[in-house]
Amino acid sequence: MRPIRLACGVAAALLATACAATGTTTTPTAAPQETAAPGYLAVADEALAEGGALNLQVHIDSGAATGYDPQLADVATTWQLLSLSYETLVTVGPDFSVQPLLAEKWDTPDDRTYVFHLREGVRFSNGRAMTADDVVGSLKRLLASKGVWAGQLGPVGEVVKDGDDRVKVTLKEPYTPFLAALANVPAAILPMKEIDDKSVDLATTLLGTGPYVVENHRQDVSWTFKRNDKYWNQGKPAADTLNITIAPEEAARIAALQNGSAALATLGNVDSETMLAGAKDVKAVTQATTDFYYLMLNSLKPGSKLADPKVRQAINIALDAKQIAEVALGGKGKPTAITPAGLPGACDPAALPSASKSLDEAKQLLAEAGAQNLSFTLTIFNTEPAPAVAQVIQQNLQQAGITVKIEQMDEASWSGKVYGKAPAEFDAALSWFAGYADPGMVTKWWNPETAGFNAGFMKPDPELSKLIDAANKQPQDRAEALAGVCARADADAQMIPLVTRPATVAYRGDQLSPSLYATEGYGNVLRLVADARVKKTR
Amino acid sequence: MRLLMWWSGRALSSAATLLGVSVLIFAAVRLMPGGFAETVLGPFATAGQKAELAARYGLDQPVFMQYGHWLGAVAGGDFGVSMISRQPVGAELLARLPVTAELTVLAVAASVLLGVPLGVLTAVRARPTGGGAVGRLVSGLGVSVPEFVLGSLVVFVFSRYALGLEVGAWTPLTQDPAANLATMILPAAVLSVFSISVTARTTRDAVMGVLVEPYVTAAVGRGESPWFIVRHHILRNAATPVVTLIGTTTAYLLGGALIVEHVFNLPGVGSYIVQAVGRRDYAVVQAGVLLAAGVFIVMNVLIDLLVGAIDPRLGVMAGRRS
Repeated sequence: MRPIRLACGVAAALLATACAATGTTTTPTAAPQETAAPGYLAVADEALAEGGALNLQVHIDSGAATGYDPQLADVATTWQLLSLSYETLVTVGPDFSVQPLLAEKWDTPDDRTYVFHLREGVRFSNGRAMTADDVVGSLKRLLASKGVWAGQLGPVGEVVKDGDDRVKVTLKEPYTPFLAALANVPAAILPMKEIDDKSVDLATTLLGTGPYVVENHRQDVSWTFKRNDKYWNQGKPAADTLNITIAPEEAARIAALQNGSAALATLGNVDSETMLAGAKDVKAVTQATTDFYYLMLNSLKPGSKLADPKVRQAINIALDAKQIAEVALGGKGKPTAITPAGLPGACDPAALPSASKSLDEAKQLLAEAGAQNLSFTLTIFNTEPAPAVAQVIQQNLQQAGITVKIEQMDEASWSGKVYGKAPAEFDAALSWFAGYADPGMVTKWWNPETAGFNAGFMKPDPELSKLIDAANKQPQDRAEALAGVCARADADAQMIPLVTRPATVAYRGDQLSPSLYATEGYGNVLRLVADARVKKTR
Repeated sequence: MRLLMWWSGRALSSAATLLGVSVLIFAAVRLMPGGFAETVLGPFATAGQKAELAARYGLDQPVFMQYGHWLGAVAGGDFGVSMISRQPVGAELLARLPVTAELTVLAVAASVLLGVPLGVLTAVRARPTGGGAVGRLVSGLGVSVPEFVLGSLVVFVFSRYALGLEVGAWTPLTQDPAANLATMILPAAVLSVFSISVTARTTRDAVMGVLVEPYVTAAVGRGESPWFIVRHHILRNAATPVVTLIGTTTAYLLGGALIVEHVFNLPGVGSYIVQAVGRRDYAVVQAGVLLAAGVFIVMNVLIDLLVGAIDPRLGVMAGRRS
């Protein structure tokens, strides 16, 4: 059952006409979106005056539990928030190319050495100038941290000051995703002097070089950001104030957009764009992301048939990612291999070995494994579109004679069941990964010995781990190496990539002229918020 | 002396009730599936980080010890610290209480101002068809439609046609009273539908019960005006069940506020607890439920006092006299 039909069903008696436009189709075909410029969904109109307040709504106020230390942040919603106040040495462009930010440029004398030339005139929001020591200290602190991003930075050997305005990083071996990892919030440049003399506590205070400073925060209610008057980038940010309201209920965010109390909101339901189609002045766009859904098959549960690679292979063959994208995601997601579709150099999911095999071959594999009447439980969280994805999986596997029972839980129960114990207690589970900005980064999660969180349900595949590491060491001609990784992960099938996870953003065309990338790597809808022009403040 | 006995008895039974509630809720949040560590720290957390978090909130101790520490702290007015926000729960509850209180006051006011006259009217003009039937249908619907269904419907309709009222936004009362009211009217209306219906029904039954009393017939015989009869003979005698009901519904409304605040995104105690349950934020859930139980107990005491003031035969001092 598609959620839009359900919603209309409930309201049908009273609001038959209001639903007529959306209730008739079950699979809205994704209309080609206008692109404002190559790689952009929207580009802010610089002819509009600067200033004004921008009212935003997001669904969650994350980050407080682990504190606001950027180096400990591991979810996109926290990166989004912290990116308003913190900046990194480099950033990613709309085409995922690495671009300068706090480093004006960088040299790579060899494939293990990076020399960053720091931008002049950069100040922290307390007024102190950023120095090479801050950069060296920040990177060293990150490498020594317990966070996952220390690993994403790669095999860093040495970080040293190379004059007053240069920092040299030497890797122990070539690591291609290094710059892309350096472009995300955990690698932000921190005020090391203040951290060392303990005059600032990063867990509670945001003190960076970015465009905005925190004026007020009420947990789970709102954030208020004011422009950072010391910001190095002249003319930015355009809006003076950002009022961010936390609204967990999607209906409340949609209402705020429609009545104009929010100028921009992030939406979770893939049908929200269709629901907002008739709303005056509201423009809803689908931002592609490199995040993707995947299916976990627990091969460590004692007595489980899923421990047999043939059974997992059969499941992988029977899954129809295209159908999941069309039916469950309303055509807004794309099939993907373990290198996220949308990134340059990603594998073609249609070229995966499992994609060319037939259902008969799947049944044959099940017969060989003695698992003809296989049935298992698929554990999912109850937020849309996970239930819809699970239903398509259930139907796909039915075709191969596999019975899937769907078990739906709230997110806390789900995470307890999936990550709470080792070996994990679930049979199969659905989740999604952030795909990041380099095809080599998310592949690291396929090695449970370094990822850790999946050690409770996934056996390490030494061959796959070797291929992953080799592909990340290869600065040129990565396509072939990555194809090898994709094929091996496809055969291993303990974590099966399915489809990309789209993000819906909606804004008021009469209140705001925003800039938005067409595809996001780090789930940061607010990445270009400093460019956004306020047309009128309500 | 008798009053003192009454008060101490009430205090003892209230304390026992709260203690019972505290045991129940403490056990319940720990029996909820899903670990606090996975929920709070996410899947990437190392075993060390999880252990650190457990130690910080005393979750590595035996449950009885945890309960003892918590109860001791609560008795001293300390409701603990939220695992999500790291803020003291007491201060957060206090900051959010005005929103919930305003919502409840508005809903109670609507119940009294609309429910009581509606009840009197349907009782006085009780006829098998016409207005009475419509009244019954409306109050029947009001009682049976859950708040989240009605709330979602109202959000849907008013987000398209705002009519000067706000959905999905909230303005503090202290900042702009008019704007605050525009954001509070719809949630209060949704919240009050149930209590208006129940109040109207109860008032109707109570008034109809009084209508057949001889003194009403006598008053009619004396030729007193209908309005005078309603005010002096009927309302005073029908008030007891209605006041009792309004007291109970006030406590009930706090439960409804849980859902309504969440649906309308109001930063009250209700939405705080809903989010805390979803994230297994133990201290917040425990404090929130305890607070609700406390309000319930206080409301019951107030009802007893009020009923006694209206009708001394039923009051605090009446028990031993009869």
